[in-house]
Amino acid sequence: MGDKHIHEDQKFIDGLLTNNTFIIQAIYNKFAPKVINYIRNNSGDEDSAKDIIQEVLITIYNQAKQKNLQLTCPFDAYFFLLCKRKWLNELKKTTNKEVTINDEVLSKNDSALELADETALFEDKQSLFNTMFQQLGTACKDLLKATFKIKSMEEVAKSLGVTYAYARKKKSLCIGKLTKLVQESPKYNQLYY
Amino acid sequence: MNDQDYILFEGYISKTLSLEDMADFENKLKNNSEFKQAFITYKDLNNFLEHKFENEASLNAFKENVHTISDAYFNKENTTVTKTVKLTPWKYAIAASVVVLLGLFIFNNFSNPTYSDFSNYETISLTVRGEQESTIKVAETAFNSANYAEADRAFKKLLELDGNNAELQFYRAIANIELDKFEVADSLLKNLSKGNSAYKNKATWYLALSKLKQKENEACIGILKTIPEDAEDYKQAQKLLRKLE
Repeated sequence: MGDKHIHEDQKFIDGLLTNNTFIIQAIYNKFAPKVINYIRNNSGDEDSAKDIIQEVLITIYNQAKQKNLQLTCPFDAYFFLLCKRKWLNELKKTTNKEVTINDEVLSKNDSALELADETALFEDKQSLFNTMFQQLGTACKDLLKATFKIKSMEEVAKSLGVTYAYARKKKSLCIGKLTKLVQESPKYNQLYY
Repeated sequence: MNDQDYILFEGYISKTLSLEDMADFENKLKNNSEFKQAFITYKDLNNFLEHKFENEASLNAFKENVHTISDAYFNKENTTVTKTVKLTPWKYAIAASVVVLLGLFIFNNFSNPTYSDFSNYETISLTVRGEQESTIKVAETAFNSANYAEADRAFKKLLELDGNNAELQFYRAIANIELDKFEVADSLLKNLSKGNSAYKNKATWYLALSKLKQKENEACIGILKTIPEDAEDYKQAQKLLRKLE
């Protein structure tokens, strides 16, 4: 992905990253109407559109922050695709009806599809990681929280009343345990191959 | 994978392995797919945790901002429907008086905002207790008694010795706004607003106010829009924006 041309709409991603109110407002003004329209025409209402848009913006933010998201297609195509998919998944859940997601017909933009797939994968991983983190014991959870919040392992050790060497070792074992939990999950193979 | 493997993963990520161990490790990554798969997952989780806890505060700020913008956007969507109502004569009277009241209200609230409505700095205290360094004292006293010309001279002198002092730069800029010497003020504020000092956001705010005093409303609006939500003067900035737009 690194050698692909970055689209000028990257400014929207950068604006989200810096929590720039005016860019976020511009995103709503420019791109929300299409999403609202689509959801209204597909058994939804304005409230559902409101929720879907917020969730998608948060996902994009997370991916940009964590994975250095680089836009290789117009923001419009990418954003609309993500909202649409999220809405169709929502419909599937609530109505129990078979909904076919037929992106290919609606989007002519290959890199938008590719990017939306990447984002979906990112989101699924996040949700699996979060679930598994909750299954860790309290000691591991606290240690990891402290490690990543405080950053300095010396201080972490001090705040938990253990030695530096022990804190470091414990950190790797806790992430190790989490790695095991994640790898043992039935969803793992869908996400890593 | 056993515990020893996870300890190795951590060592590799934090670059604390010896050169020899590192070579061994990379070799194993190449030849052992199970090892590699576990390592990739471990690394992913490490990133995930880092992001989850380190950026918790900024994520929350982002969520809150999106929430507010979303509410505003969708409320506007809902209120685009208007009704026409037939009025009886007494209703005209009420409507007329409402218009008058509204006019007064608007006049009071939306009359052109000025620099002095918004500038909100207080008296300054630059000297440490007991310390009587003369120029600093002069600057402080002059500034606090609104003798900005003298304050500016003192600030200038102090900055010759301590050019990077953000506090001095900031108050010198304010003194210059008061003196209508906008070129000096604006260039100091621009520098501060690009920097990383504690005065960064304050400087942006005062740069906007300087433009307001110069009646460059467009420039003022542009600068106000760059003030982040966590800035101390964000609310004031939004208020001024509403009045200007």
